[in-house]
Amino acid sequence: MTEQTRHEIEITGVGKVFGQGETAFHALRNINLTIRTGEFFTLLGPSGCGKTTLLRVIAGFEQPTTGSLSINGQSVVGLAPNVRTVNTVFQNYALFPHMSVAENIGFGLKMLGRPRAEVAATTDEMLRLVRMESMAHRKPAELSGGQQQRVALARALAPRPRVLLLDEPLSALDLKLRKDMQSELKRLQIETGITFVFVTHDQEEALTMSDRLAVMNAGQILQLGSPHEIYNAPSERFVADFIGETNFLNLKVTARDGSGATVGLPGGATAQARLAEGISPAPGDTVPAVIRPEQVQLCPPGEGDMDGTVTGAVFFGTDTHVHLTLSDGQPFTVRRQNSADQPEPANGTPFGLRLTPGALQILRG
Amino acid sequence: MAGPARESHRWKWLLVSPALFVLLLAASGPLVIVLIYSFLSPGNMGGVSWDPSTEAWFRVFWSRDIFEPELVTLNDSHLAIFWRTIWLSFQTTVICAVLGFPTAWFIATRSARTRMVWLFLITIPFWTNLLIRTFAIQEMIRSNGTINTALLWLGVIDEPLEMMFTEFAVLLGMAYVFLPLMVLPLYAAMEKLDFRLVEAGYDLYASRRQVLWHVILPLVKPGFIAGSILVFIPSIGAYVTPRVLGGGKTMMLGNLIALQFGQGRNWPLGAALAMVLLVIVVVALIFYLRVTGSEERARNGRA
Ligand SMILES: Nc1ncnc2c1ncn2[C@@H]1O[C@H](COP(=O)(O)OP(=O)(O)OP(=O)(O)O)[C@@H](O)[C@H]1O
Ligand SMILES: [Mg+2]
Repeated sequence: MTEQTRHEIEITGVGKVFGQGETAFHALRNINLTIRTGEFFTLLGPSGCGKTTLLRVIAGFEQPTTGSLSINGQSVVGLAPNVRTVNTVFQNYALFPHMSVAENIGFGLKMLGRPRAEVAATTDEMLRLVRMESMAHRKPAELSGGQQQRVALARALAPRPRVLLLDEPLSALDLKLRKDMQSELKRLQIETGITFVFVTHDQEEALTMSDRLAVMNAGQILQLGSPHEIYNAPSERFVADFIGETNFLNLKVTARDGSGATVGLPGGATAQARLAEGISPAPGDTVPAVIRPEQVQLCPPGEGDMDGTVTGAVFFGTDTHVHLTLSDGQPFTVRRQNSADQPEPANGTPFGLRLTPGALQILRG
Repeated sequence: MAGPARESHRWKWLLVSPALFVLLLAASGPLVIVLIYSFLSPGNMGGVSWDPSTEAWFRVFWSRDIFEPELVTLNDSHLAIFWRTIWLSFQTTVICAVLGFPTAWFIATRSARTRMVWLFLITIPFWTNLLIRTFAIQEMIRSNGTINTALLWLGVIDEPLEMMFTEFAVLLGMAYVFLPLMVLPLYAAMEKLDFRLVEAGYDLYASRRQVLWHVILPLVKPGFIAGSILVFIPSIGAYVTPRVLGGGKTMMLGNLIALQFGQGRNWPLGAALAMVLLVIVVVALIFYLRVTGSEERARNGRA
């Protein structure tokens, strides 16, 4: 364990089964995960994939059925939530309705038995941190959604937990407020240096805010990495599909080298492709591959790596999504940066498609 | 604008008028009669004679020596009964709250289907006549009743415990009779309780006891208030239970009033005592709402 990347949370082989016998439901399956001290870590996945369950296991509200969990190097299996140095920002905020904003924020410290003066001082500090000084004496019911969210954040931060768990804290906010709160959260995380474990099902939120993220589906972690890695080198179809728009192609491997492969493209040309971790296709295999729409340029027919014919175009302001059919019939989308003098491509126009080097990734399965 | 609004207002008054009429006739009417009676003189064979007098009110608090009417002393027996009435009612309320809270909590934390069964069980005593239920308690606690027989047989005691005609007996009877009136509003408050708030409490380092004290109790307080009122008021006016279980020694205000209208043949005194009962209830209510009200108002900001 080096000082640079200390492990705040280590989850080893954690599984969670709800119910028994016939009705048993595996909400988590063999989760292995290390979260580093001070990082902004995101759990991303569709509804029902087990994100909340995993957070509740970390917080101590659920006991894992199998596996072990340690926080700051100490096993916490069997420990109650009130003795874990972990605080949660609940999805619905769960502010105490009978307490003022200040009382809510001071609650944790009060329960820890800190002296009155310290509770008051920290409460003031937290109120400043989330810019709620003027509303200290209001009741939660007298606050807007965004303000409640900030109070929930301050309440969870006040006892200075080692880890802050945030369960879709922004999902109830409108788009504008959401953007503001995203940067506010990021600012708070950097200012406090506390490890954040953030849950969302919004891929854009996950990409913009996280240091690292884990993509989950059906109780499993499919891929773990930086936003850059997850976006550019997805390991399987679900991940590629869940994050951003993408083109899937079935291609034939023509040659292998150490870290990559050469594949045949529709139309006969070949290209270099990267391999997802842990796979080793042999020449002759047909493999699923993925390529992002912005990593392909349109050029005159015959001058690119592939050829296609336009079937439609959708204008998005900054760019246009050009839908084409490749020479072998597979559909393909190219995202083209817009400029004022560029005409919209008409249906039936032939184009060449030039791949950016390193754009092609071969997936698992 | 104003037209339709006023129209609908008139309609509302029309809608409540039957209720108002009944209230006026059934509540205010007798009350006025009782108030008037309390300022009249007792008739010879019960009833009242229409001589205005404040003697009844005087007798509520003071008594005259039989031979020397000028010798006035505080009416100790009346004051003792007032005090006993308030004290027993208060104790009944506290006992019901202490027993009712875990009961209501138990029910509220069952699954939705079994909850109905438990609630149903709680209301079963209401199906039987109060008098019969009270006699059942008598059967349990009298000298050769169920409890004493069992304890004697087990050798725990050598001679029967004297439980009948004590304040304990009255308290037992009233707590038993009024417990559902505490459980039901408490349950209603707990059912609305957001259990995520309980989790939030644990998450913020509160122990079980602290969660109970700082989160659960304040949130179910409306249930406590409603339940306390529902228990305290009928306790103050209890008649059957102290009559059957308390006898003459542990009389409560209700029995004293009944006595004046019956054997005592002093209707004005009975009427004055009835007014005292009303005043005790109203004062207790005002006091109670004062104490609990300030925080209550703050909570209502939530709605
Ligand atoms: N107490 C429970 N008993 C039985 N099944 C449960 C329980 N809690 C969660 N589940 C199931 O476990 C699965 C994962 O639930 P979880 O709440 O972790 O999903 P999630 O990823 O947080 O979804 P969302 O994005 O909708 O919040 C769901 O299918 C859910 O039905
Ligand atoms: Mg969830």
